[in-house]
Amino acid sequence: MKSINALFFLLLLFTVSSCKDFLDVKPLESISDTETITDQNSALTALRGVYSALASGDYYGTSFQSIGYLSGDNIQWTGSQSQVQEFINKKVNADNSTISGVWIAIFRTINRANNIIAKVPTVTDPALTTALKNQYLGEAYTLRALAYFDLARTFGGVPIITSPTSKPTDNSGIQRSTQAETYAQVLKDLETAEPLLPTTVDRYRVTQKTVFALKSRFYLYQKDYAKAEDYASRLISDATNYKLLKPYGAFFQNDARGTAESVFEIFYNGTTEVNSHRGQWQPQTNGGTRQWAPNDALVALLNDPAIGGNRSVLVAKDNQNRWYGNLYYRNPGSDPSYIFRIAEAYLIRAEARAQQDKLADALTDLNAVRDRAGLTALTATTTSTKDAVLLAIENERRVEFALEPHRWFDVVRTGRAGAVFNLTDVNRYILPIPVQQLQTDKVLIQNPGY
Amino acid sequence: MQKLYAVWVIFLLVSLDLTAQSTDRSANSSTATVSGTVRADNGELLPGVNIVLKGQSKGTVSDANGQFSLSAKPGDQLILSAIGYKTIEIKVSGTGSLKVELSADSRQLSEVIVVGYGTSERKNLIGSIAKIDPTDTKVIPVGSVDAQLQGKVPGVQISSATGVPGERVNIRVRGATSINASNDPLYVVDGVFINSNSLQTIGTGGKATSPIADINPSDIESIEVLKDAEATALYGSRGANGVVLISTKRGAFGQRSTLKIDASAGAAKAAKLWELTTGPEHATLVNEWWVNTGKDTPSLNRTVANRPFRPVSEGGRGLPEDQKTYDRLGELFRTAQLRNYDISLSGGTQTTKYYIAGGYNTQEAIIRPINFNRASLKVNLDQQVNDKIQVGVSNTFTRTYRNQGRAGDGPAGGLLQAALHTPTYLSPTNDQGVLVGRAGFDNLTLLINNYNVHTTSLRYIGNLYADAQLLPGLKFRTSFGIDYNNYNESEYWNSKLISGSPNGYATSSISQYTTWLNEQTLTYRKKLGSNHSFGVLIGNTLQSDNLTRTYAEGRGFPNDNFTQISSAATTASSQNWSKSTLASFFAKADYNFAGRYLIDASLRADGSSRFGSSRKWGYFPSVGVAWRAKQEAFLQNVTAISDLKLRASWGVTGNQNGIGNFAAQGLWTGGTGYQGSPGISPQQLGNPDLQWERTRQISAGLDVSLFADRIGLELNVYDKYTTNGLFQIALAGTTGFSNYWSNAAEISNKGFELGINTVNLRRSGLTWTTSFNVAQNVNRIEKLATPLKYGSRDLILQQQGFPLYSFWVYKQLYVDPQTGNVVYDDVNKDGKITVDDRQLVGSIWPKFFGGLTNSFSYKGFDVNLFFSYQYGNKIYNHNRFFGEGGGARDDARIIFKSNLARWQKPGDVTDVPRPDGINVNNYRDGGSRWLEDGSFLRLKSLTVGYTVPKELTRRLGIQNVRLYAVGTNLWLLTKYTGLDPESSSSSDQNAQGIDLGTPPQPVGIQGGISLTL
Repeated sequence: MKSINALFFLLLLFTVSSCKDFLDVKPLESISDTETITDQNSALTALRGVYSALASGDYYGTSFQSIGYLSGDNIQWTGSQSQVQEFINKKVNADNSTISGVWIAIFRTINRANNIIAKVPTVTDPALTTALKNQYLGEAYTLRALAYFDLARTFGGVPIITSPTSKPTDNSGIQRSTQAETYAQVLKDLETAEPLLPTTVDRYRVTQKTVFALKSRFYLYQKDYAKAEDYASRLISDATNYKLLKPYGAFFQNDARGTAESVFEIFYNGTTEVNSHRGQWQPQTNGGTRQWAPNDALVALLNDPAIGGNRSVLVAKDNQNRWYGNLYYRNPGSDPSYIFRIAEAYLIRAEARAQQDKLADALTDLNAVRDRAGLTALTATTTSTKDAVLLAIENERRVEFALEPHRWFDVVRTGRAGAVFNLTDVNRYILPIPVQQLQTDKVLIQNPGY
Repeated sequence: MQKLYAVWVIFLLVSLDLTAQSTDRSANSSTATVSGTVRADNGELLPGVNIVLKGQSKGTVSDANGQFSLSAKPGDQLILSAIGYKTIEIKVSGTGSLKVELSADSRQLSEVIVVGYGTSERKNLIGSIAKIDPTDTKVIPVGSVDAQLQGKVPGVQISSATGVPGERVNIRVRGATSINASNDPLYVVDGVFINSNSLQTIGTGGKATSPIADINPSDIESIEVLKDAEATALYGSRGANGVVLISTKRGAFGQRSTLKIDASAGAAKAAKLWELTTGPEHATLVNEWWVNTGKDTPSLNRTVANRPFRPVSEGGRGLPEDQKTYDRLGELFRTAQLRNYDISLSGGTQTTKYYIAGGYNTQEAIIRPINFNRASLKVNLDQQVNDKIQVGVSNTFTRTYRNQGRAGDGPAGGLLQAALHTPTYLSPTNDQGVLVGRAGFDNLTLLINNYNVHTTSLRYIGNLYADAQLLPGLKFRTSFGIDYNNYNESEYWNSKLISGSPNGYATSSISQYTTWLNEQTLTYRKKLGSNHSFGVLIGNTLQSDNLTRTYAEGRGFPNDNFTQISSAATTASSQNWSKSTLASFFAKADYNFAGRYLIDASLRADGSSRFGSSRKWGYFPSVGVAWRAKQEAFLQNVTAISDLKLRASWGVTGNQNGIGNFAAQGLWTGGTGYQGSPGISPQQLGNPDLQWERTRQISAGLDVSLFADRIGLELNVYDKYTTNGLFQIALAGTTGFSNYWSNAAEISNKGFELGINTVNLRRSGLTWTTSFNVAQNVNRIEKLATPLKYGSRDLILQQQGFPLYSFWVYKQLYVDPQTGNVVYDDVNKDGKITVDDRQLVGSIWPKFFGGLTNSFSYKGFDVNLFFSYQYGNKIYNHNRFFGEGGGARDDARIIFKSNLARWQKPGDVTDVPRPDGINVNNYRDGGSRWLEDGSFLRLKSLTVGYTVPKELTRRLGIQNVRLYAVGTNLWLLTKYTGLDPESSSSSDQNAQGIDLGTPPQPVGIQGGISLTL
C-alpha cells in the first residue's frame, strides 16, 4: 500500500509542475495587444479597423448622423425611445444615451487612428514602402481630423488625444481644449495628411481629394470663405471624376454605390459590415421600425415640384399610408453612409461665394444643384440680395440633405437657430458632455446650461 | 496534460490490482457465516440495513425481508446502521441466527447530508447546509428544478422572472457578491460541476433559457444547498455564491426491482391581464395631450381645431367616439396544456445497484407559440467489484426542445409588443383588408402564425468513479466527469414579419459547451477510543471548459417555403472558440470529541486560466466549530430539549464565474473589416493584476429541537464581505475604450435565516406539520469609484453606499392640484429638475422573504399547502410606464386604463398628472410613479393526494398507488398593479426588477397518478 501512496504524492507533484501549461490558455479569435502592427499587412488591416470604427452604428452608421438630422426640423419621431425626442425638442439631457454612444464611438475611432499614427512609422517591413506608409498615415490623420471636427461641432471643445491607449491609465484625466483649439487640431491633421496622400480618386477611402472636401467644409464652418471656395473648387473642377448625377436618385437608388456624386462614402458589404441605419427609417414591410420619419413639413417640401423636384424620391408611403424616409433601404443593410457628396461642394462654394458677395457665381453653383433636382434656376431678379441668396442656399441644403446629417449643424453654424428653430438659448447650440463621462473623468467640465 | 492522464490510468490499474490482492488475503482468514434478521422496534422487518464488520470495510445489506448473512469470526463486532435508526454494535458469539432490533432515532439528526466531497450526518454538521427533498416541489410546473425551490430554503432567494417554463431564474444564496461576475451558485450534479450559464444566442428580448432545465426533477434524490463558508470553502474559487449539490437517484444493494410510473396532466392560464383603454378613451387622451402641448409651446401650433382625432371630413382620424376597439391580448394568451410522464426502475443485487429512468415533459407557455419539451434518460449504476472496490457511473441524457418567442423587450418579433403595446384603436388590417403591423410592431396574427424559432439542447452529464478502500479507514476515490451540451438554435423569419421583410431571414447557431473534470480524493477516518474521532481529506481536481459556436445567417429567400439558409441569396457565418481551465488542490481535517465538540478546517487552492499570469492562484481557507450542548451533562436531563447545537464558521470563498475567459489579457480582435476585407482593432485593455474575487464569510448558527423533535428550529446569522470585486470599471471615453476588468469593488451582505419545523398534531392517523422560513439579506456596495448604470433608461444604478440593483428615479412628490403638473423632489434645490435630481429609491431586495408549508395527512389522504412570500422589495412597472404615456405616444403605444385618472381641471387630486409630452416633465423617463411595491404572498402550490389502501393494491400486485392533484399559484396577494410581482424582463443580473413585456406565472391545475410496482 505504501507504494500507492508514494505514487499518489508523486502524481500530485507532477500535476503541480504541469499546471503552468494547463492554466495558460490563449484565445484564437484575438491577438495580444503587444504585437499588433508589425508589417505591411497588419498595418493595412489595422487601418481598415479605423474605417470600421468610422462606420460603426454609433458613429456614421446611425447615431452621429441622427444628431445632425433629428435636431433639425425635418424629422418626426414615432417610437418609444425618448432620447430621439430630445433631439427633436432640442432639449438634450446629459444622460441621453445617443450622445453617450457617439462620444465613445468617436474617441474609439481616434484611438484606432492614433495606433496607426504611432506604430506605422516604426514598421520595418520592406513591403511597407514609404509611399504606402505615407498613404496609411495620411488616411489615419484625415480620419482623426474628421473625428475631431465632428466632436467640436457637436460638443464644443474636447480633450485632444493624439497617442494610442495601451493601458487603463493612458489618455484620461485630460482637460477639455476649447472649441477653437479642437478645430486647430483638425486643421493640423488635415495639413499633415494632405501631402502624404495620393492624388487618386477613391470614394471609399481617404485620398487627397477627401482632404480637399473636408477642408472646404472646415473653412466654411470657420467662415474662411475664400479658402472654403478654393477647396470646393478643387473638387468641382475635377469634372471627370465628380459630377452631379441626374436625376437626384441616381446616387443611391437601385443599389447604386460609389457613383461620381460621391467624394467620400462609407462602404458596407451587408454581411460582415452591416449598416443598420435602414432599420430606423424603413416601415415594417421592409423589416424596419420607422422609429423616425419625415415630418409633414418635409414631406410637403419634397413633394412640392418647385422645391423638392425629383428629390421626392427620398420619401415613400407604406401600406398604412404613412410616409417614410427611403435613403437607406437596402436589405441586408449595405446602404453607404454619405460623408461628402459633390453637391455639398457646390453648396459650400455657393455659400462661400455669396458671403464674399459674388452673388452671380453663388447662384450658378446653387442652380447646378437645383437643375439636377429638376428645378428652375434662380436668377438675380428672383433672388437679388445676399441675404436672399444665403436663405435660398439654406433652404436648398434643407431638402438636398434632408436625410443626411447637415440641417442642425448648418442652422447653428450660420447663427440662424433662433430664427429657424425658435431656439434662442445659445447654450443649446452645442450638446452636453455625456454625464457618464463627467462621472468617469472628473477633469471634464460640463458645457454651460446643462 | 495527456501525459498526466496516461500516468493516472496506470495508477488506477495498479491500485485496482493491489487492492484486489489484499481482498483475497482477507477472504482466506474468515471462518464462519453469520446470518440474522433485523427488525425495527415496532416489529417491522427492516430492509436496507447496513451491516459491517467493525474495523473492516466488509459488509452487507439486509434484504427485503430483513435477512442478512456474512462471513465473520466469533468475537467480531457487527455494526448495524440504517437511516432513521440508532446504530448498534453486537458481538458475534456463535454461528446461530441473530435477531437484532433497531430502535428509531431522531430522523433529523441522523439524516445523511451530502457535503463537499463526502457525506455527513446532520448531527455532525458544522456548516449551514439545507437539504431539500424534491418530492413535493417537482410537481410545480416551471420546467427547471432551481425555480421549484423557491421559498423552500431559508436564505435562498429565487425569483421566477417569467411565466415561460424552462427560462432562467435568479437564484441568490445569501445575497449577491458581485457586479459583473456571476452571482449564480455553483451547481454540482453527481460530482460534475455543470454549466449553468445559458448558451442562448438568439434574442428573445433579454430572456435566456435555463441550462438547469435540462435536468429532470424526477431523477433527483436530494438537493443540498451549501450556504456558509465552512460548507462552501471546499469549493473554493466558486463557492462565494453558494453551492447547489444535486444527487440523482441510485438503486440499493440487495433490493428487489421497483418500477415506478408517474403520469400527470394539467392546464394553466394567466390569472389576469392588463386593463387597456378602449379606442374612444385612447383618442380622448391623445387629443388632450395635443391641446395641452399646444398651450405649453404655442410654436407647435397644436390646437383643438387640428387635434388628431377630429372628424375625417376635417382631415382627422375621426372623432374619439368613432374609434373602434380591438382586442389583441385574447389572441396571444391561451390556456396552456402540460403533461409529464416518468418511469423508473431501480433496485440491486448484492453487488450491483441500478437506477434507470425515462421522463417526458411537455409544457406550453400561456402565450402562443412558446412551449417547452424535455425528454430525459437516466442510467445510474454502481458495482461492488470486491469488498474493497466499488465503481459506478451516472448518466443523464436529455433533449430539451423549445419553441421560443420574444417575450421580453424589443420591437421586431416581440409578442407582448404586438399584443400589449399596440394601441387598441388601431385595426389589425389596413384599408385594403391586409393584415398590417402597427406602432412599429409586428402584426400579432401574422406573428403567432409564422413564428419559427426553435432550440434543441442535447445534454449529457456523466460521471465515472472508482472507490477503493486502501486501508481500514483510508479511502481513495477517483472520478472523471463530463458535461456536454449541444445547443442548436434556429430562427426563420418569413416575409410577413418585420425581421424577415422583405424576403426572409434565417439564422442557425450551434453552440457546444464541454466541461471535463477529473478529481481524486483520499479520505481517512479514524476513531481513537470512544471520544476522539477525526477525518482527513485531500484531493485535487482539474477542469476544462470549452465553448465553441458556429453561426450562419441568410437573407433573401426565394419564397416562404424555403427556410434553410442554403436557399438564401446572401449568407454570412462565423465561428467562435473559447476555453478556460482550472486546477485545484484541497484538504480538509475534522475532529469530533465525544460527539460534543466538533471542529474542522479546510483549505483549497485554485488556479484559473482567466487571471493575470502572476495572479492565477487563489487560496481559500475555512474554519468551523460546533458545540452539541445537548450532549453535555447539564442538559442530559432536560427532556424538553431534544437537541441543542451551536455552530460558528469563518472562511473565504472566491468567484470567477461570468467573466470573460480572457478578461485579463490585452487583446486586439479581428472582425472589424472594411470593404469586405479583414480588419483588426483594439478589443480590450489587459489587466495583468486581475485576480479572484474573494468573499469572507462569518457565520453562526443555532439548532434546537424541542419536545421530542416536535419543534425544530434553525437560526443562522452571517456576515459576508467581498473584496477584489470583479467588475468592468468604466474608463473615460477619451481612452477609446468603455471599460476594463478590474477588482476594484467591495460589497457586503449581512443577514439572518430562520427555519422552523413543527409537528403540530400527530394522533389517530392525523398528522399536521408546518415548515416556515424567513430570511433577510442586507446588501450594500461598500466600494465603487464610479456609479454604474444598467437597464432601460438607466433605471438601475449601482452606487457606493447603496444596495446593488437600486432604482434610480426622479421621485414624484405629488401632482399639483392647481396645475396638474408633477412636483418632483428637487434634490439639489436648484429650482430645475435635471439628471442631478435623480435619486436612489428602493431596490430589488426584499426586507425579508421565505416560505410556509403546511402538510396534513390522514389515513390515505395528504394535503400540502405551500406559500412563498417576499416583503419590501421594489419593482419598476415598465409596462405601465409605456402604458401611461398620457397620450403623447399617440399611435405608437397602448394607453392603460389607469391613465384615465389623469388630472383634468384645477382641484383634481390624483397622482396621474396632466398629459404634457414624453420626457418633458410629467411623463419623464425614470419617474418614480411607476416604481411599485413588489411585496407578495403567493399560494405557490396546493397538493392533494390520496394513497389507495395497501390491502387493495397488494391484491393487484401493486405496492403503492397515489392519486394527486396540484394547483399552482392559485392565490396571490400583492399591491403590485402589474400581472406578477416577480416579473423581470431581462436575464441580465444588473437589470433585474424591470417588468416589461413579460408573461406572468400562470395559475395551473394538474392531476396525476403515481404507481409503484
